[in-house]
Amino acid sequence: MALIMCCFEPLELPECLDSLFQHECCCGCCSALRPRYKRLVDNIFPVNPDDGLVKSNMEKLTFYSLSSPDKLDRIGEYLYQKATKDINRKRYKYVEIAMEAMDSLLMACHAQTLNLFVESFLKMVQKLLEDSNPQLQIMATNSFVKFANIEEDTPSYHRRYDFFIHKFSSMCHGAYDNLGLQNNIRLAGIKGLQGVIRKTVSDELVENIWEKQHMEKIIPSLLFNMQSGDLTQTEDATTTTPPQLAESVLRELVGRASFGHISSVLKPLLTHLDNHQLWVPYQFAIHTFRVVMISIQPQYSYTVVETLMQHLGNKTDTSPKTRTSLAVVLSKIIAIAAGESVGPSALDIINNLLTHLRTSVKTTKPETTPEESQYQEALINALGEFANHHPDYQKIEIMLFIMNTVPDLKKKGAELRAEGDQMQNILLKSLLKVGTQYRTAAFEKAFPASFLQPLLKMARSPHDPTRIIVMQIFQALLDRHQNQGVLTNITTQPYSALSQETPSRSDILFVHKYGSNIMQALIDGMVLSDSVESLASTYNTAALLTVEMACHETIQEFLLFILGIQHVSLNVENLAPIHRCNMLSMSIALLCLACRVTGITSLLEYSEKIVDDRREEAPYMLPPLLDKRSGYELNVTLPHLSIDKMALAECLETAGVENKRLQNGTPYELNQVDTAMPRNSWIDTSSTGMSHRDSSADLASNGNDNDSINSSPGMTKKTLLLNEYNFDSMKRALAEPTEAAKRYHREKQKEIVKQFRDGNFEDLMRRTEPKHEVIQNRLNELFNALVDETTITTGEKQPMEKKPIYVTNFPELFYY
Amino acid sequence: MEDYKFLFKVVLVGNAGVGKTCLVRRFTQGLFPPGQGATIGVDFMIKTVEVEGEKIKLQIWDTAGQERFRSITQSYYRSAHALILVYDISCQPTFDCLPDWLREIQEYASSKVLKILVGNKTDRDDREIPTQIGEEFAKQHDMYFLETSAKEAENVERLFYEIAAELRDQARSKDASVSSQQRTNHSDSIGLSSLSAKANYFSQNNCCTGGASSN
Repeated sequence: MALIMCCFEPLELPECLDSLFQHECCCGCCSALRPRYKRLVDNIFPVNPDDGLVKSNMEKLTFYSLSSPDKLDRIGEYLYQKATKDINRKRYKYVEIAMEAMDSLLMACHAQTLNLFVESFLKMVQKLLEDSNPQLQIMATNSFVKFANIEEDTPSYHRRYDFFIHKFSSMCHGAYDNLGLQNNIRLAGIKGLQGVIRKTVSDELVENIWEKQHMEKIIPSLLFNMQSGDLTQTEDATTTTPPQLAESVLRELVGRASFGHISSVLKPLLTHLDNHQLWVPYQFAIHTFRVVMISIQPQYSYTVVETLMQHLGNKTDTSPKTRTSLAVVLSKIIAIAAGESVGPSALDIINNLLTHLRTSVKTTKPETTPEESQYQEALINALGEFANHHPDYQKIEIMLFIMNTVPDLKKKGAELRAEGDQMQNILLKSLLKVGTQYRTAAFEKAFPASFLQPLLKMARSPHDPTRIIVMQIFQALLDRHQNQGVLTNITTQPYSALSQETPSRSDILFVHKYGSNIMQALIDGMVLSDSVESLASTYNTAALLTVEMACHETIQEFLLFILGIQHVSLNVENLAPIHRCNMLSMSIALLCLACRVTGITSLLEYSEKIVDDRREEAPYMLPPLLDKRSGYELNVTLPHLSIDKMALAECLETAGVENKRLQNGTPYELNQVDTAMPRNSWIDTSSTGMSHRDSSADLASNGNDNDSINSSPGMTKKTLLLNEYNFDSMKRALAEPTEAAKRYHREKQKEIVKQFRDGNFEDLMRRTEPKHEVIQNRLNELFNALVDETTITTGEKQPMEKKPIYVTNFPELFYY
Repeated sequence: MEDYKFLFKVVLVGNAGVGKTCLVRRFTQGLFPPGQGATIGVDFMIKTVEVEGEKIKLQIWDTAGQERFRSITQSYYRSAHALILVYDISCQPTFDCLPDWLREIQEYASSKVLKILVGNKTDRDDREIPTQIGEEFAKQHDMYFLETSAKEAENVERLFYEIAAELRDQARSKDASVSSQQRTNHSDSIGLSSLSAKANYFSQNNCCTGGASSN
């Protein structure tokens, strides 16, 4: 037809004829009699299609349509008709020209009437898209994109984009043998989708792009293109590849999504990842979710996390690998969400993660496969990542929350024990993960009582790994100066790389308040296992505690603790010699550390002397810790090599440090209240009767040992508590220690006198015997200082001196 | 020309390799491309047929049979007027999957969708599913049934023409009073209300080009 018209086109008839032939002519051949707009349209087509659009005539047409916009719709319709014919006759060049003309008209006209023109324009685009010629499809898409970028001022309620979404999505999957063509088609499809999104997303009146049926096409189409791309972004800005474009469209789409629309984006996304098995390996999934998280409006980002978590919840039956990937993805994106989620939503996410962990532990009851533990690891990582991006006060909340979910093994039956152990470990591991992210400022805040108590309870767990994890948690939270690594090495030598700071007032308060509880737990933990690993981790914790908190005000507490270790190591039954040795090594190492940290030189000299002595006589009582295999002859009952309390007190006095508490307090004992160990009758008697060898001080200590009792009610010395001990008396004692001491002292004196009068010999012997030891120890100390250990031969106490330590503990055996 | 009276969307579903794409190709282009690769995502074809003098435009969406594209293909079911469920008569598993497909159709497609069961590849001599079995299955599930061969062009034209005719009848009976103009609107393409009227209006001066719509 174009050919026929061409014959007539040169014949420009006078304008006046137009008015004569305003009505439609049914014959296309009579071009002379056609209305003007038709002639103008006809004229833009060249004789030879390869010549392209006749520019000058196009200008005329543009001018005409600008001056009489009422004709615009007819022009559009006419162009469409012509193009349809050309398509059917496969004269694609002419179709191209028609489309080009439509484009320029669309660009040129901004009149109200554009709305009508757009209709034929879109029909044209659709027509082109319907054709199987890929070039036409690409051209149509380009036109559509141009149209999409125009801001229309009139709403178009009746316009539907279904077909375009269908078709563009289909094009996104286009498969051609020619790779270049395939790329172009796919690019066109993506651009087209972008156009539809732009056109519809902001306009509530037209198609709701967020509807399921649309998103289920758009999202997979974009992802399908993204997944074929190289994840390592090449900074090649010159050419856009389908993956790159698809990604940017996804960003745009996600960025425009409001709260209600996020799930309609995420659902198809997750389904696509499932269907195309894109979770393993997880690089693409991470990439995709990063894109989503970065582009999403920040206030909604946590919903992504929630959705992903839900998805994970629905996939309990899939392979652990897939779940691991999901968890890894979660851990990668959770950080981005964490910044925005506060309060309940944060705990919600934590709770969800914990639930997943629990399910994982439960479902793999008999034995955890490596894949499954990887999955658990990934979940824990996610937890840590999440916590990491919370402010510190929330981290504590999170830790408390996790702590509360740790199962209490005592309440469970034996059959649940193994599972519980595992669960406990997993949860503690997550706790540790969070803990390592926490930057401790004040211990008071890091260890609220509600957190510390259960943690200490856990520190006495009979299960080795559990205890080690608890120790690690302590280390993470105690270590304010990154000394943890330095202190892993147990030694009596100075730690060169140690960084420290004088403890603050609140730290000291903390020691007074909770220090003894922690130390008590540490001692209990030491006794529970002779494994070097476990002991070393306990040492590490104790050392950190010392470095962080030891100072002149608190040194006494630490010395009592150190003495406690020594005491327990020597006096608790059933300990392997090697275990005892290791504990002694640790006590001396801690003493050296404490001396150096506090800078009390007299104390340091004393401790170094012990070290020297031990090195000569019993190197096995010095660090490093001994392995089970080492075959030393381990005699630990060498009192002259022990740390002596009185000597310590003296050292303190020399240094001008308050030493009353040390003098009067008792070293730590093995705790009988809270341990998992069965109540041991021997320990009982020992603590009631025998533990206070320093009986002269002992009697008074009941009055003076306020701090310890005050700080650990019901723990250390419950059995020793006298009836009159109550809060008031303690308070009084704190306020006026000397007077109270005197009063109690007097009472005690009376009692003693009475006992000496009425008691039998054995009783008296038992009461006074420890005193000898103290004196003996002091003498020992003095002699040592003067003429080394060889001279201890004089005095009535000589036979006692050689007594092995168990004898002093079992005087009745000795005396009979 | 755009003078079709009806526009219907037809979606082809079925296992991978049963010959969906070949059926469509045979119908729209008259070709049988040997060694046709697996469809990716969804393919699109258009064809206008004439039933009793009325032009009916068929939008044919040829979906990928592969499992991994299931989610995107499902999204095309909803707007379909007719669903052609294809199986391979020489491949028992493709027939066994039919209940699964029906379940999917049930879930994602409109309840009024026209369902046609097609046993393809009748040219093959290693038939595994007798015609009768297919027929019975179709009957049970309230579907039309036809056996075709895209290779031999057997029953292919008939399949689509019958679908077109059936859909037209349905559309007519559904609302006899609605003019064809509005009916076109029902087909959710760019249903521009004024367009088809204009199409008719313009068709008057198409004497030179009339009938060019089909080849």
